[in-house]
Amino acid sequence: MDSVKKKRTAQPIAIAFLAILGIFAILQFFNKPLEGKSIAKKIEAPREVLSILENSCFNCHSNQQNLDWYDKIAPISWAVNKDVERAREVLNFSEWNYSEGEHKGKMYAILNMMQSGKMPLHEYTILHPSAKITQKDIDVIKKYTLSLSNVTPVKNNLKNSHQNIEISKSNESFKYPVSPNGVKYTDDYKNWKVISMSTLFDNSIRVIYGNDIAVKAIETEDFHPWPNGSIVVKSVWKQEKLADGEVRAGEFVNAQFMVKDSKKYTDTEGWGFAKFSGKDLHPTGKTASFAKESCIACHRQLAEKTGYLFDVPMKVNTERLIKNLQK
Amino acid sequence: MKKILFIVLSICALFTACKIDKPDKDLHRVIFDPGNLKFISTSLNTTTETSSALYGNQEALQSLQSEIHQPKSDSEFKLVTWKYHENPQYIGGTITGELLSVETLKTDKNGKISYQFKDNSKTENNPSNTEERIKYLMSYKPVVRP
Repeated sequence: MDSVKKKRTAQPIAIAFLAILGIFAILQFFNKPLEGKSIAKKIEAPREVLSILENSCFNCHSNQQNLDWYDKIAPISWAVNKDVERAREVLNFSEWNYSEGEHKGKMYAILNMMQSGKMPLHEYTILHPSAKITQKDIDVIKKYTLSLSNVTPVKNNLKNSHQNIEISKSNESFKYPVSPNGVKYTDDYKNWKVISMSTLFDNSIRVIYGNDIAVKAIETEDFHPWPNGSIVVKSVWKQEKLADGEVRAGEFVNAQFMVKDSKKYTDTEGWGFAKFSGKDLHPTGKTASFAKESCIACHRQLAEKTGYLFDVPMKVNTERLIKNLQK
Repeated sequence: MKKILFIVLSICALFTACKIDKPDKDLHRVIFDPGNLKFISTSLNTTTETSSALYGNQEALQSLQSEIHQPKSDSEFKLVTWKYHENPQYIGGTITGELLSVETLKTDKNGKISYQFKDNSKTENNPSNTEERIKYLMSYKPVVRP
């Protein structure tokens, strides 16, 4: 009697199991393997740095995938393939056609991603525990990255991801160039308030301005999300050292814009990015989606706390002091 | 009973969390309001780890654009100095933090100069190094923005 009961309950389980197996089998027909790409130019770095990158990053950020068997089975493979394609778009260690300065910029981005715990992705290390990075690994990357700044003398032609990616020749009128994603250059920022000042490892000096909407958002901490219409502009100059060691703003490098329009810029957290470089203010980017492959990756991972915008003023001043000094 | 105790303890824990946050409440993200003056130039002192912004009116801008670098009549300058820090969001960068001082240089319609120094402890209308500071302020060149 008991065995009949067991059989009765076992049957549906078996059918369900077979059905699931069947679905999996069918899914495999829709399993397009990851597009294989050749290694155009592999990143060059000291052995210990390379081994960390190879172990923790290369599976997604290169053309040298060493995927586990379960990564290749649909539907997991769909997620893996999508991640790899997106990862390669942003950073590909097998297509490392970068100048010395760009290499340095990329290494700083990698260091910051690791240090903040954003990379490798948590979802990835759960299934691939061997890819986890330790503090020791981060220290190795940090030591190498900082050495790039120390060893290299101050060169005027240093570039980083914020200085030059791909520049399209624009025939727009000189006065108001437009970025491929529709962000328009405007002179108005010269009348806006300065929200902060910063420097970067590439020996640049930067001043960041905000329009009234952005200034109000900062003062009221209303930047989750930033109100539409906020515009923040950063002007970047090369550092010019005076005889007494003081640094002043030298040659103009570029003006970087971030324009908040949550309906227009859905791929980049509602921010429209633009960069206008040189005396002719030529815009960066070949297609409207250029920022999706470059700017937003760092902003999304490292500046989430301040609504994807770097260089929001630090929360370190008392109102009383400011009122007193501003009088 | 255990449940109630757990809930009570959790609520207590929440209150202690609020207390820790309190000192932060007095601190703000501050943007300097230069009034009707506009940004003219910037500097960085790596010894004192400070960064300054120079603001001025139209006359101030013209004074610094001219060769002689003397304050024209009716000009007003403000040099605002901040402490800078390693950027907490990005290794390899610095960002301005605490506001340290505001220096104001004004000339009246006859070109008579007045200078004032303000920091968080004192206001000095005639500090001993006035001459030096005026000379320093006048050494700025307007930044290049095409």
